[in-house]
Amino acid sequence: MADEKTPTPGSGTILVVGGGISGITTALEAAEVGYEVFIVEKNPYLGGRVAQLNKYFPKLCPPTCGLEINFQRIKNNNLVKWFTMTEVEKISGGPGNYDVTLKQSPRYVNNNCTCCGKCAEACDVEIPNTFNFGMDKRKAAYLPHEMSFPQRYVLDPSIIGTKSAQKCKDACPYNAIDLDDKAKTFNIKAASVVWATGWNPYDASKMTNLSFGKVQNLITNMMMERLAATNGPTNGKIVRPSDGKTVNNIAFVQCAGSRDENHLPFCSYICCLASLKQTTYIREANPESKATIYYIDLRTPGRYEKFYKKVKADGNVSFIKGKVAKIEEDPATKDVIVTVEDTLSGKKIHARHEMVVLATGMEPSTASVKVPGNAQYDDNNFVISADILSTGCVKKPSDVMSSGQTATGTALKAIQMVRR
Amino acid sequence: MAEGKLIKPDLDFVKRVMSSGGESLKKCYQCATCSVVCNVTPDDKPFPRKEMIHAQWGLKEKLFGNPDIWICHQCSDCTAYCPRGAKPGEVLGAIRKVSIEHYSFPSFMGRMVGDPKFLIFLLAVPILLFAAVAPYVGHLIPAQYLEGHTPGYLHEVITSTEPIVYAEKFMPVPFIDTIFICAALFACLGFFIGVVKYWKDLTAFGGKPKGSILNAAGATITDFLAHKNFKKCEVTVDRAKSHLFVFYGFVGLAITTTWAIFYLYGLHRESPYPLYDPMKILGNASAVALLLGILWVISNRSKNAEKAGKGSYYDWLFISVVLTIVVTGILSEVLRLLGISLLAYPVYFIHLVAIFFLFAYAPFSKMAHMVYRTTALVYAKSIGREKEN
Repeated sequence: MADEKTPTPGSGTILVVGGGISGITTALEAAEVGYEVFIVEKNPYLGGRVAQLNKYFPKLCPPTCGLEINFQRIKNNNLVKWFTMTEVEKISGGPGNYDVTLKQSPRYVNNNCTCCGKCAEACDVEIPNTFNFGMDKRKAAYLPHEMSFPQRYVLDPSIIGTKSAQKCKDACPYNAIDLDDKAKTFNIKAASVVWATGWNPYDASKMTNLSFGKVQNLITNMMMERLAATNGPTNGKIVRPSDGKTVNNIAFVQCAGSRDENHLPFCSYICCLASLKQTTYIREANPESKATIYYIDLRTPGRYEKFYKKVKADGNVSFIKGKVAKIEEDPATKDVIVTVEDTLSGKKIHARHEMVVLATGMEPSTASVKVPGNAQYDDNNFVISADILSTGCVKKPSDVMSSGQTATGTALKAIQMVRR
Repeated sequence: MAEGKLIKPDLDFVKRVMSSGGESLKKCYQCATCSVVCNVTPDDKPFPRKEMIHAQWGLKEKLFGNPDIWICHQCSDCTAYCPRGAKPGEVLGAIRKVSIEHYSFPSFMGRMVGDPKFLIFLLAVPILLFAAVAPYVGHLIPAQYLEGHTPGYLHEVITSTEPIVYAEKFMPVPFIDTIFICAALFACLGFFIGVVKYWKDLTAFGGKPKGSILNAAGATITDFLAHKNFKKCEVTVDRAKSHLFVFYGFVGLAITTTWAIFYLYGLHRESPYPLYDPMKILGNASAVALLLGILWVISNRSKNAEKAGKGSYYDWLFISVVLTIVVTGILSEVLRLLGISLLAYPVYFIHLVAIFFLFAYAPFSKMAHMVYRTTALVYAKSIGREKEN
């Protein structure tokens, strides 16, 4: 099993920063034609945002399937080397001879780990589960998710030095826990660097009029993915956070933060399809359920129009043209009241729903953490530089399909830089 | 297939809105955030989203006869939340300006007041009028050639060390009153014709009033006295208070003026009146309220500029005139009491010019909002178009 190998010094290497679907694709496309590639991922697992999705649109197939194929390709290719829990500290040099400083945080679990779960059983500390956007808790000794690659537990640094950590170590029958694990800093040489650090869901609490964080049954679209996922906090049951009640009447608020100069001025590209897809989650789970999509205009590029037509044909999904700009909670029922002007009828309506999903957009990860090297950005912090290459959602908002396509193109650009 | 409706856009109207402070108009993409965050719009056919598209398409007849543009108090909550920077609050302000222009009589006056390049002409009228008084009252003739003792050679008046009496020595009342009565009649005629035209358009657009106009008028005035609608603003919450000061400052000064007319023509008491006179006390208190109010307005506007927009020439012209009136008014009184005639008479002259500007041009300036908003709200109430609370 390929894991944190000692990097091979020398030029001719491609460094891919970010182990999501874009980074993995770029790496594999380059490796499979004979180039040495390093993948650097800050999470303890590869797969990125895709790993958090319940289903892909438009085929509604599970992303784990595609990820597993990619992980197989990685395992079977000696040219791909990867580091999890690792971040880039500094990039110096230029195309053809980059010198990159990497910092790997301690995992406290070595490759003796068999994922038996004894450490988690013994662990008495619970922390918010960031993989599920804090909707549930996990032990401080945890496997990030069932399909984690690598299949190896992690100890949260907050328990290191406590008795809880010792308990985990004592419970491990394979001597896999190393409490003395330390952060490591090391340098590698690369001929080209591809930035593929993806996106973060836009912080919905910034839209004060939408009251996210104050209204209990108001969630984001990424939270909805976790809620609908069988490995999610509710084992795939779509229920209200406030009372665990099955949701029969759901609404989706499009452009929650996107196409908005006060927030993200650009269209995030995926949210319309994501909401259309998510109506199918609830409609399949509960035939009695009703869904409403509030939109400015629905953007379903190319063949996605078909998907829209399919959802539209369902009489229990309604579409109201108008942007929701006010959300309140009914304190008695915890229902969510959205205010919107139905612009086709010219009526301001105050509609009640059991749960509401904000279709929050994509903020490039570089909005919060910049490339520690010479990179250029557009007005919205997307990376557009020609020296340090970029691909996927850190370059422009994309769906998985176009991420795959552009990642393949980026692999070619990276190869050109190696051979120049 | 449905019958097509032929839209007749008035491109000149679009350009006028855009050049009157509504330059952001075309940025609107009709998401309707504005209608949702607006606290003063009724739920049925809310504004300002529909006004934005009507303005973009140049459908002026859907805007002029529509009371909604005046139900809007330019809270600017819409502008603050607008995802496109289309500034609906500013655009509606510009539409109101174009509407005032549209109903103005004589119509060229509307165009002139709204356009900075005519400002010099508008100022020239009162300056020349008041300057023309000088030869008539003998300001250009040396005092020794005058038979009476008033008013005297202009430079002697201004440099004199005697107590300052504006009416007796500088600008005799009959002249001032003649000029202002003419200005007021001109304004009243303008307003009358404008409002008659406006009411016709309102009823043509929204139907005949259902309830009693008198009741609606009473309710509207009650709302005004407390600034009920204005207080619903969120982003510019302080505007209601500052406007209340300006409003009551003007009310006080209007009462003062009526009172002074009564003193002069009823009791034949000549100005200046002593500071302890109740009329004087009301006048001074109102002036202070107006000064504080207008300064507060300016401060709020600069404070809110980022979220609410910086305002148009039309807004600032009106604010400047009010500020000039109140500052020169207070200064005239202070300088008179201090006996600084060299400054007092010129300041008083500016004061008169500014008051003329406000009065004579009222039907064409932002001052007209007073009349058109009242008309629109009375009408809106009479057809039951109001936000239920």
